[in-house]
Amino acid sequence: MNFFEHQDRARRNTRRLVALFGLAVAAIVVAVYAAVVAFLMTTEAGHYVAEGGLAAPEVLVPVLAGTLFVIAAGSGYKTLQLSGGGPVVARLLGGRPLDPNSGDPDERRVLNVVEEMAIAAGTPVPDVYLLAGEHGINAFAAGRTPADAVVGVTGGTARQLSRDELQGVVAHEFSHILNGDMRLNLRLIGVIHGILVISLIGYFIMRAGGRSRPSGRKKGGGAAIALLGLALYVIGWIGVFFGRLIKAGVSRQREFLADAAAVQFTRNPLGIAGALKKIGGHGAGSRIGHRRAEEASHLFFSNALKKSFLGLTATHPPLDERIRRIDPSFDSTFPVVEYPPGERRAAAPEGALGPEARPAGRGAIPLPGIPFPGAAALAGAASAPARVAESVGTLDPAHVAWATTLLAELPAGLREAAHEPTAARALTFALLLDADPEVRSRQLEALGRSSEPAVATETRRLLLRLESLRPEARIPLLDLALPALRRLSPEQYRSYRTMVRALADADGRVSLLEYTLHRMLLRHLDPHFGAPRRKGVQFYSLKGLGQEVSCLLSLLARAGVQPGTADGGEEVAAAAVAAGARELAQAGLEPRLVEREACRLRDLDGALERLALAAPRLKERLLRAAVAVVVHDREVTREEGELLRAVADGLDCPVPPFLRAAEG
Amino acid sequence: MIGALVTLAVIVLLLLFLVGIYNSLVTLRNRYKNAFAQIDVQLKRRHDLIPNLVETAKGYMAHERGTLEAVIAARNQAVSAREAAAKAPGDPGAMRDLMQAEGALGGVLGRLFALSESYPDLKANQTMAQLMEELTSTENKVAFARQAFNDAVMSYNIAREKFPNVLIAGPFGFHAAALFEIEEPAQREAPKVSFS
Repeated sequence: MNFFEHQDRARRNTRRLVALFGLAVAAIVVAVYAAVVAFLMTTEAGHYVAEGGLAAPEVLVPVLAGTLFVIAAGSGYKTLQLSGGGPVVARLLGGRPLDPNSGDPDERRVLNVVEEMAIAAGTPVPDVYLLAGEHGINAFAAGRTPADAVVGVTGGTARQLSRDELQGVVAHEFSHILNGDMRLNLRLIGVIHGILVISLIGYFIMRAGGRSRPSGRKKGGGAAIALLGLALYVIGWIGVFFGRLIKAGVSRQREFLADAAAVQFTRNPLGIAGALKKIGGHGAGSRIGHRRAEEASHLFFSNALKKSFLGLTATHPPLDERIRRIDPSFDSTFPVVEYPPGERRAAAPEGALGPEARPAGRGAIPLPGIPFPGAAALAGAASAPARVAESVGTLDPAHVAWATTLLAELPAGLREAAHEPTAARALTFALLLDADPEVRSRQLEALGRSSEPAVATETRRLLLRLESLRPEARIPLLDLALPALRRLSPEQYRSYRTMVRALADADGRVSLLEYTLHRMLLRHLDPHFGAPRRKGVQFYSLKGLGQEVSCLLSLLARAGVQPGTADGGEEVAAAAVAAGARELAQAGLEPRLVEREACRLRDLDGALERLALAAPRLKERLLRAAVAVVVHDREVTREEGELLRAVADGLDCPVPPFLRAAEG
Repeated sequence: MIGALVTLAVIVLLLLFLVGIYNSLVTLRNRYKNAFAQIDVQLKRRHDLIPNLVETAKGYMAHERGTLEAVIAARNQAVSAREAAAKAPGDPGAMRDLMQAEGALGGVLGRLFALSESYPDLKANQTMAQLMEELTSTENKVAFARQAFNDAVMSYNIAREKFPNVLIAGPFGFHAAALFEIEEPAQREAPKVSFS
């Protein structure tokens, strides 16, 4: 199953969930109605029922309306609260954001592992939150899209896992991020909250009824109210119970898949198996003490709560079953993990880089029932478009190793610059400067005229250090700078954004690559600063998007034309677009090379915005078409590789870095 | 019956609205507290650079012990003010103390730099030049972080003073937060002294 199939499946699961929830609400409404009717029978209002029968409209309509309203209000409120995305959830659980520049060794380690994984996956580096007071070993990933995802770890995780184990846990969380599981998780929280409100109301009515002392006017009036409250409370509780069953059913299966993905990403089963074993042997296990833990229990890496009801409402599969799936030789004895919190773990020899620590001879671990994409699929699929499409949303230990090496080899001071808000701005400006000297001087002029002249100086300074940087490092550096840039205040972001757009403008002579890079940067930052959310999926067929597709492919085709080709390269470009068209033949589209004036860089914005709203399968074909266009001339420069990655990012498809053949 | 239900619905919506206000105040408060962490990081950098600076200067300015000791004293004062403020970001008392301590430190550093003009050997020293360069760059970072913090504090203060938020803010302990501003002491930068 590739990335696009995962996304499809996640959306199908959401629909299934909504249906189940609808059933639960219907059942609750019936039960509430019964309780209210029973209550009314004990009062003088009972004549409504006696006269109108069991479906007396005077009773039915208000009860129906009231119950539905309460549930809708409860769910709506919670969903609204969660619309803030990952950071809201993290704060809800008591998390503190880690400073990207942190000097604390444990924090630094977590930050480094997350950075490497994000660069290897081709996604923005997420903010990392620490649940400092939690001693259990656990982690979570929350957010609506990879762009606003956050990763959280407990204090126990930061202090007590080895680097390999930490990497396994982070890989597991990244698979949730990449597979679109997070949005479903958040929706579950919102939906179940609505049912919870019923039991809350019942609780209050129970208290109110209990307090009033009936003076014997009605036959046991106060007691009847209390009973009504009790009934509502029980109904709500049953509703929540079923909600938890739904949660458990959905999330348990996904946890196995995420474990398998973690093994695939790191090719090191010992890492994640080790983490699971430590959880088993740890006194606090993976328990989260925070009172809000139950709401978000399905977001965690491992069981955050104490024993569940008969194992039915457990959000995670049993530990030893998870371990056995990864490490069949596991014999159910957990290591004794005794380190008191706060003490550094004993110096066990750890592999400096995760992938190197895997034991010899252990290669790819086939997991029962779960096909192992990656090596097989990529080697078997002959064409580049298919290979790239398969690689979306996955990664390889080779990518992680590449990321680690890249970070280690960065020229001095660039990494620190990326981690600090002031310098990160200048760094991104420097990275967005065009290669053409004339355009570049114009851009620097524009920067100099901006409100902060110091920024232009800093940019020039960093520019010198970037001279020796290889082209493939641009996207990773931009991704690396994102956590620091998220810390700008809204006003600071506004001026930053204006400057970035000014750079991209430069009289419209900026190259396609710089344009897509600046677009990528803003696209990942705008949602954090309150830009309106994009809708989910609006296009289930490419028929209505013909113009946008032609525009995109034409721009890509022309960008690949060597300067000085005959007739301005129009014939070559047309042939390239035709190659891309072949990938889209099934979609009933016939993209052609459009006039230069019909599709400028500005139009690319609008085109990509709309194409990003297409269904996952359509995006897969789009991506394949884009790749076909670029590889048509049999010469893919490194810049073209970056262009493809930036375009894919614009379609919300994370593509891991392209490794040279020698790197595997 | 209908009337009662409608009233109930209105009350519920009102409650949700109020809870929404509460939550937004909490969010804004968290934002400025996190923004203070940025300042904290940069101030700590600044404070950590100073002992090194003083050590280097000591070698050349043996007679200026008074000034050097004043620098260290001001630095220590600033460190404790910073730590206190980190525990209560936005608290007017803590912010005031921090502002005063940082201002004093800036003043005393200025005196040191002015003095160092008379010691050409010291000025030529590589380490000294590097440290001063880092101090300047840290000043810029502090200024930037301060701006972000003050923006966040302003948003919070405005939100809590608006109507109807002001009704929630008082009873639930959302106090006004203080901005963080450093008065530029007269001699922050080494003045250009020329002996013509």
